Amino acid sequence: MRCGNVFARVAAYLVLSGMALVFLIPVAMMVSGSLKPDHLVLPEAGRLANVVPAKPTLDNYRDVFARVPFARYMANSIFITGTIVFCGLLVNSLAGYALSRLHWRGRKAVLTGVIALIILPLEAIAVPLFYEVTLFGWRNTYLVQIVPFIANAFSVYLFYTFFLELPEELEEAARIDGARPMRIFFSIVVPNSQPVFAAVAILTFLTQWGSFLWPLMVTHSESVRPLPLGIALFYTLPPLQWGDIFAFGVMMVLPVLAVFLLFQRWFVQGVASTGMKG
Amino acid sequence: MATPSNRTNSPALDGLRREQDAPTAWIFALPALAGLIFFVLAPFLLALFLSFTNLRLGSPLPLEFTGLRQYTRIFADTAFLRALQNNTVFALMVVPVQTALALGLGLLINQPLRGMVVFRTLFFTPVIFPLSLVSVIWILIFAPGPDGTLNSLLQWLTLGAWEPRDFLHDPRLALPAITVTSIWQGVGFQMVILLAALQSIPAELYEAARVDGARKRQQFVHITLPALKNPLTFVILVTTILAFRLFDQVQIMTRGGPNHATTTVMYEAVNAAFGSQQVARGAAMTVVFFTIVLTLTLVQRRIAGQERASS
Amino acid sequence: MPGQTCYFSTRVILSALLLFLLFGCNRQDGGGEVPSGAVHLEVWAHAGQEAERTVLREQVDRFRQHAPEIDITLVFIPERDYNAQVQAAAIAGDMPDILEFDGPYLSNYIWQNQLIPLEGLLSPEVIADLLPSIIVQGTRGDHLYSVAAFDSGLGLFARRSQLEGIGARIPRSSSQAWSAAEFEGILRALAQSDADGAVLDMKLNYGGEWFTFGFSPILQSAGADLIERRAYQRSTGVINSPEAVAALQRVQDWIRQGLVDPNLDDAAFVTGRVALSWVGHWEYSRYREAFPDDLVLVPLPDFGRGSRTGQGSWNWGITRNCPDPQQAADFLHFLLRPSEVLAMSNANGAVPGTESAVARSPLYGIDGPLRLFAEQLMGGVSVPRPRTPAYPVITTEFQQAVQRIRNNVPVREALDRAAANIDQDIRDNHGYPFKSDQ
Repeated sequence: MRCGNVFARVAAYLVLSGMALVFLIPVAMMVSGSLKPDHLVLPEAGRLANVVPAKPTLDNYRDVFARVPFARYMANSIFITGTIVFCGLLVNSLAGYALSRLHWRGRKAVLTGVIALIILPLEAIAVPLFYEVTLFGWRNTYLVQIVPFIANAFSVYLFYTFFLELPEELEEAARIDGARPMRIFFSIVVPNSQPVFAAVAILTFLTQWGSFLWPLMVTHSESVRPLPLGIALFYTLPPLQWGDIFAFGVMMVLPVLAVFLLFQRWFVQGVASTGMKG
Repeated sequence: MATPSNRTNSPALDGLRREQDAPTAWIFALPALAGLIFFVLAPFLLALFLSFTNLRLGSPLPLEFTGLRQYTRIFADTAFLRALQNNTVFALMVVPVQTALALGLGLLINQPLRGMVVFRTLFFTPVIFPLSLVSVIWILIFAPGPDGTLNSLLQWLTLGAWEPRDFLHDPRLALPAITVTSIWQGVGFQMVILLAALQSIPAELYEAARVDGARKRQQFVHITLPALKNPLTFVILVTTILAFRLFDQVQIMTRGGPNHATTTVMYEAVNAAFGSQQVARGAAMTVVFFTIVLTLTLVQRRIAGQERASS
Repeated sequence: MPGQTCYFSTRVILSALLLFLLFGCNRQDGGGEVPSGAVHLEVWAHAGQEAERTVLREQVDRFRQHAPEIDITLVFIPERDYNAQVQAAAIAGDMPDILEFDGPYLSNYIWQNQLIPLEGLLSPEVIADLLPSIIVQGTRGDHLYSVAAFDSGLGLFARRSQLEGIGARIPRSSSQAWSAAEFEGILRALAQSDADGAVLDMKLNYGGEWFTFGFSPILQSAGADLIERRAYQRSTGVINSPEAVAALQRVQDWIRQGLVDPNLDDAAFVTGRVALSWVGHWEYSRYREAFPDDLVLVPLPDFGRGSRTGQGSWNWGITRNCPDPQQAADFLHFLLRPSEVLAMSNANGAVPGTESAVARSPLYGIDGPLRLFAEQLMGGVSVPRPRTPAYPVITTEFQQAVQRIRNNVPVREALDRAAANIDQDIRDNHGYPFKSDQ
């Protein structure tokens, strides 16, 4: 039995490590490509041993900063995504709470409507939405990249399912004491809902960080454009400068990695608890 | 599904309660609802309206109503029909494979071994990459010729028997290539959900089953799977919806080719509107898209609901 | 869980601070001193290769010194999807003052009433100095709507040694071009001593607009075209005429017989796999570096009605938005100075846009290695891509037809389909009517 156990353990580690390696190869290629001269990236892609660059160089990183105002793009992305996330947490959680806890006529209809809207991706409505925001005169601003994405049907739904499962006793006690719903929400519900807030925050962040089509259509100035459009500047006619593109990619992913590592624990909790409702 | 009314202690007060929160509720819900109506519903209704016209991007000509012409045209267009087919095939490939892989990884990680959190993070890492970046990296991996990563790996595995292929330009390999890219990027997310569900299954259930003499496979079928029913349903539904939204990878890696082998409904719609500048045509495609996915979602929920009721 | 809450909130607040700090610190745009009362002009250009962008930036700097009362803001737009982005801005009325755009889209912009005529703003000497191809591309009716600092060249780069090895003659001008049959003979002769039998690179790996630019001259050389050029109303019978079908059938046969390299690594010519490369001027420096003494430029083959070639590249126009068109025209004048034209041509290897610059160009002057390109543009051998607002649909359909033909779909079928779709679009848009003064 002992031997079998050890064997099973080793096997598990081996399989997991093997899979992890496979999963990380693309990541490794990106990092290593960012440290190689452009003309070596493609030819060296074939051999695993080439993942470690022969002569690592930071030239590509220097290039990126020289060719495009990277700091500006990064600041724009952080501002736009951050604002969407923060405002979204507020706006969508309030709606989710109203749908799950409060009693009002039309609750069911609104809930059905929200669920139906989950299906629509941005690409499906991008062109009509574009005409709409053009009417408002919002083009080429931060506003046009932020406001349309604050309210999100899927986030509302996640909040809704999470709040449903919260034990009612705490809120009941406060209600009996005469507290108003707004107060109950902020002082009781929110502190006890960290998992869903973290989950929605990260999900929204991930979706919005890589947003490309919309900013492409509604902006043209570097002063408001986000990172994905910065990397698009490197997509010229062939031959592509892979090293620069990958250096850009590495720097683009690092903040997301940081955010994820910071909030990982709550995120996993949150994602799990909402996912279980089905 | 639990609703607020179910949970009250006094059903008699239900009628009274039903509206008492109304003012507050509307205040709470208004910002989100306003946003959803203005920026999601209204554009969709506009798309619906436009699909019955001939709108062209930037045209100085007046708008005309053309009835169902856009719809008859797209359903006679081989590219669009191929796109529908591709989306379906893609969904049929991605959903089972990604879910099975996520479940497998979850099961592997769900063991009382050290360092499992590290593995969990590792497998989740691809999820944080924007799809546009993922696509660029995988272009390199699928590079043609013996220098391409995948080609040389396959050559090594088959001891030289593998002929280097240009995956992204091969009509039969392009869609599978995109499938692999999507699975790589998405499986970590599903795995985290399923893993958390696995970890919440009480160990005592397995203990009791083992004492009763049940083998591993029986434990899996009778304890694990039923406990995973909800998260699995959720994961399958979300993955299916996402499969029909496939766009970024196609836009960057294959541009819908070769010969429409990888075009998708969203890709056709965006290109109709921004490439050929035929906005009305793109609008018609998105209306069709919405209808299909809505139907699929309702069907899936109904099946899941029925199973829940019968089990 | 108060402890966790505190921890959570702390992280949240720190993140928020970081966010606003980063954002706040980067508020300022770049830009130097600007005298008060200056005219502000916004210029949009495509983000091309690094050398091109550097030169354009330097040109803007030099212009600033030349005319400090004009403040130019240069905005680079990603090259991929450039036209879509400009269209999106156009709908919102967000156009710049001076716009760079791909030549064939000119008719579209005129139809949308975005550009103003230039003939009253530019000096007649400058206009007369422009290459005829650029004048043709930029003219509609009686007005000149755009100019260009460079134009493109299209031809066959070849390994002289290999051509001499099989005894082929080397044409020196378009009138001496190989006939299609002669060209095929050369391909077959080369293939006999070639390792993989593929001796011609047609940049099939490029895709996109290249297919139209690079291959529509085949139609024109055969006596066909993409669309009839009298009124630009009908493509059926033109793009799928018997001559067109026959010409593209030849090309499909070359591909089927393995004479054309798929060029997946974009290096078929430089690694010596092929002896001929059907491509534009932009590959010259790379090819010359690979074969400094063995490179020769040859015109495209004659498919029946004479060798034809492509033209058209990035053009400059002044938009209706522009508050001061004369000052904007000054900027264009500056870009068209011989020294500036040459600076750009040296950076991107394209044909200089003015005849005076061509004369001084080391590449394109008499005895220059790329003289053939200049001659083609000056001698009317080059054909502009169809100058109609229907161009986006025409090019999309032709590109798809070429893709299909390359993948062995019957040529007739592919071209018939393109013709039908193009004609349908023209009907849908009521023939793209122009106003009488456009």
